[in-house]
Amino acid sequence: MELVCIGLSHRTAPLGVRERLALSDTRQVEVLQRLAQSPVEVLWVSTCNRVEVYLSAPDAMAARDRVVEELQSLGGAEARDHLYEHRGEAALVHLFRVASSLDSMVLGEAQILGQVKDAFERGQGAGAVRGELTRACAAAFGCAKRVRTETAIGRAATSMASAAVQLASKVFDGLKGKTVLVVGAGEMGELAARHLQQAGATKLFITNRTLARAEALAAEVGGTPRPFEELFSLLTAADVVVCSTASPVPLFTRENVGAVGKARKGRPLFMVDLAVPRDIDPGVGTLEWVHAYDVDDIQKFVADNAAARAEEAHKAGVLVAQEVARFVKERALREGMPVLARLRQRAEAIAKAEVDRTLASLGDGLSDKQRKSIEAMGRAIVNKLLHEPTARLRAVGPEGEGNRLAGAAAELFGLIEQEAQVAAGLSEDLAPQAATGAKR
Amino acid sequence: MSHSLVSLACHAYGIAAVVYLAYLVRQSEALAMAGRVLVGGGLVLHGVALFELLDVQAGRPVGMAQGFSTLAFLLLAIFLALDVRYRRPVIGAFLTPLAVAVLLPGLLMHGGQSPLPPGVRQPLLPLHITLALLGLAAFAVAAGVGVMYLLMERQVRAKRFGLLFSRLPSLEFLDTLNRRLVVWGFIALSITLATGAFFVTTTRGWAWDGKSIATVVAWAVFAALVNARIFAGWRGRRVALLTMAGFCLVLVSFLTSYEPASSAAAVMRMP
Repeated sequence: MELVCIGLSHRTAPLGVRERLALSDTRQVEVLQRLAQSPVEVLWVSTCNRVEVYLSAPDAMAARDRVVEELQSLGGAEARDHLYEHRGEAALVHLFRVASSLDSMVLGEAQILGQVKDAFERGQGAGAVRGELTRACAAAFGCAKRVRTETAIGRAATSMASAAVQLASKVFDGLKGKTVLVVGAGEMGELAARHLQQAGATKLFITNRTLARAEALAAEVGGTPRPFEELFSLLTAADVVVCSTASPVPLFTRENVGAVGKARKGRPLFMVDLAVPRDIDPGVGTLEWVHAYDVDDIQKFVADNAAARAEEAHKAGVLVAQEVARFVKERALREGMPVLARLRQRAEAIAKAEVDRTLASLGDGLSDKQRKSIEAMGRAIVNKLLHEPTARLRAVGPEGEGNRLAGAAAELFGLIEQEAQVAAGLSEDLAPQAATGAKR
Repeated sequence: MSHSLVSLACHAYGIAAVVYLAYLVRQSEALAMAGRVLVGGGLVLHGVALFELLDVQAGRPVGMAQGFSTLAFLLLAIFLALDVRYRRPVIGAFLTPLAVAVLLPGLLMHGGQSPLPPGVRQPLLPLHITLALLGLAAFAVAAGVGVMYLLMERQVRAKRFGLLFSRLPSLEFLDTLNRRLVVWGFIALSITLATGAFFVTTTRGWAWDGKSIATVVAWAVFAALVNARIFAGWRGRRVALLTMAGFCLVLVSFLTSYEPASSAAAVMRMP
């Protein structure tokens, strides 16, 4: 089984490409079911800044090619040029870094972990994430938790929403007395609403296609819910608009925003688009009284903040490396060597020990030729003895009956106890806390 | 005496300009305070010098040198008032160099003053001149703020988040400040125009010379600007540009006041 990660992110691909690859939940499940046919496992992580596919498969290259094809058919030929790829341990490191928010546009922002967890749950629900990826994700989440608690990276983190508020303060002299409109009551919308509220926005309107969600969020943050049909009359009154809907086409275009211009009497309008695909058409920003920002603009804005947190990022990077090393070791241990190889290794070790003992007791009187004969005899006994079980185990294969036979062999030859001993010794080395926990 | 005081004040302003430019790069409260103290100190020295002169001349700054000197004084006085009121020291980075640029030619031209002819002792003349200079200073500050607005707007539109973007005040603040300054400047300009017209018509009759044309056109520009702001919701970029254009016209009218052939000089020479 090899782990591969293929994807594109804010680092490699422009917003235009990313938004074509932003699929709805149901479409993601469709794609997952198409790609993840046993034994292939697939995790599809999709946020406004990245689309990444993690896969685990015995024939990783074939699975990889299918994923690339899929990404290309969704995102167009252009998407291929922006793809990056990590394999094996590098893919693990990447997954851990993404979950720990070290690869985020806003370094250390907390949202990404939730998004990866969502992707994980969706994958499990669709049957695309099974044993191998489940373990990798669990370890990545553990790593993210360590990064969050042991470094200061999350503490100073400005989310996209707070960056949006900072940008608004360059257009308006504070948000006091300003009317804010939040379009889309999802997680982003909620964050934005909270930040704007904190920044002193006086009137906060929340609208959503499903009014109930707008009402729920409004009750939580102290805003006024409004039906989605009022969008443009709300726009006339607003000073700041933050949108983050899942709409596949832009809600705001140069025409429909321009139409409210007269009623606004030239009042400036600050619009932030946190959605991918975009809710605000790029043409809107060309209106004289509109200042429109999309997620890429915000990335440019927060680039400075990211630099300031470089040191914490370094610390966090060390943590990630530790966690990856731990995971890799545990995996090697878990997968172990197949029963056959272990059996052979065991038998060869016994034969070698006995041969050595015999040679030692016979002393120096033996010629080289005699020595070699005795060694050859030891190997021959092992080979002859193991020939039949080897052939039988190979014949039945790894699944079902083979599993039972291998288990029996492991038990008969005492291979399981050996593994347990090694595991105990290793886990004591690696995780003293876990070991003490077990003793208690 | 007064000249050396003004020169001292000019040095204080010059250092303040450097301090404020440093503030632009490295924002620190200490620099802002240093700039404030330097400008304040300079204004005291400058004020004493101007007071001495005006006392001698019965309340009239005479000659272009003193006109410039008074203009620089008023400009920085307005800045200091704004700084105390709004605490946006970064404006100083734009206004202190402007004030030094206005004051320097005055200092270099020193010595060109002539005693005032006794016949011009119009009781309203000091008011006319003071308001004219005050209005000019308000427009100068408004134009400076307009430059800041245009710079900031360019950063905001181009999404360039550099030094200026992080240091300059918000667009709304700059626009509001521009509006207040233009309204006050416009009131001062209106009174100046009215009193000036009164002098001219009572002494030698109205004539469309360079000065009166420039002043009337500038007044018309600002009248249109104030109207467009209030009634048509104009703001932002075009207002900033118009403010700068209007300031240039007022400046022309100010400069032509000192031409021998101009009406003000004519007024002053009237027996």
